[in-house]
Amino acid sequence: MPLLEIKHVCKSFPHATGTLKVLEDISFDISQGEFVAIVGPSGCGKSTLLRIINGIVPMTSGQVLYKGRQVDGINLETALVFQSFALMPWLSVKANVELGLEAQGLPPAEREKRASVYIDKVGLDGFEEAYPRELSGGMKQRVGFARALAVEPQVLLMDEPFSALDALTAITLREEMLDIWQSPDMPVHNIIMVTHIIEEAVELADRIIVLASGPGRLVADLKVDLPRPRDRRAETFNAWTDKVFSLIEERG
Amino acid sequence: MATPAINPIPDCHITMVFGLLDLLEDRGGRDDGYKIARDLTVNFSDLLKAMKAAEILGFVSTPSGDVVLEPAGKAFLDAKINERKLMVRERLKQLSLFNYLLRLLHAQEDHSLTKEVILEHLAMLLPNEKPERQFSTVINWGRFAELFGYNKDQDRFYIDHE
Repeated sequence: MPLLEIKHVCKSFPHATGTLKVLEDISFDISQGEFVAIVGPSGCGKSTLLRIINGIVPMTSGQVLYKGRQVDGINLETALVFQSFALMPWLSVKANVELGLEAQGLPPAEREKRASVYIDKVGLDGFEEAYPRELSGGMKQRVGFARALAVEPQVLLMDEPFSALDALTAITLREEMLDIWQSPDMPVHNIIMVTHIIEEAVELADRIIVLASGPGRLVADLKVDLPRPRDRRAETFNAWTDKVFSLIEERG
Repeated sequence: MATPAINPIPDCHITMVFGLLDLLEDRGGRDDGYKIARDLTVNFSDLLKAMKAAEILGFVSTPSGDVVLEPAGKAFLDAKINERKLMVRERLKQLSLFNYLLRLLHAQEDHSLTKEVILEHLAMLLPNEKPERQFSTVINWGRFAELFGYNKDQDRFYIDHE
């Protein structure tokens, strides 16, 4: 059984002149252990799709099944990481990481223990009492990762997680993300990442879902067969980015 | 006893240094700084800061515009996160600025000082640098290495681990 089944998902928003169709009949499955990237031009509804999978945004019609079952409301086996980091500026790093655990109803002692485990895993030891404004972008996104990982989800949903970072910082965080995904002692074994950077999708993902815009629809579902670790300068890597790019160009 | 010269540190977030090391490893251990800046479309002066920071941490050398991954940099890349922190901490203790701040904190009864006092020392030691920037870089590197901590609520700059 697939881990996630996205079935005929449609999404429309009310609009001044009627309704605006954002997603039209999106269907695909995700298997256990996969790293899936969703790419497409801006306005193709890829971020909305990610939020529908999480359950924070309701779909207009269609179904999302998790382990064969429909989930009402937010799927607590998934956690979101945002491009903007979405940290509470008035809370310390530690309190930001504990935030999601409070919502889960964990007792304070357990929250503290859990938070410190994931603060350690993402390399934030030493930053516990810092406030977001004291942190670099890279450290802020590590807080975003720790907060999402601390709820111990099966699936990590990442919305342009590296897009707000400078190129060198992004290299480090992509490496760290891959280590987390491949580490057997981490509860997360699936990642769904939305990105507009094609190289990023080809470097990281097992599979690339290509969406076209106006309204957002699925135009390709590609299995990336490049061996890991992937070399961005290899001929085969270039061939892959060209292929994905041309799919977006044609249909976007 | 005369105080030896204190060198400033480039205002560069430590994560950028690690990104540079990862990149060099992917590129066979050596590349041209200008070429890296162009390929990554990063600001060249930001890349220079990252190169300089990586060099004073002992991870790379920079002969004639190139960046070369040194054995310490390779060892860093092969290490797990807590080992990495330890490697950076040991290196920081050797740097004149961090060494000075360590001695300064040791001289205090509770091994801590306020930010204001640290800024005054920085202004005196490094008249050509912006003290706020030096301070925030010291905090960024110091926290990563768990050498220094800073608690904003208590306005307390302190020794974390040594």
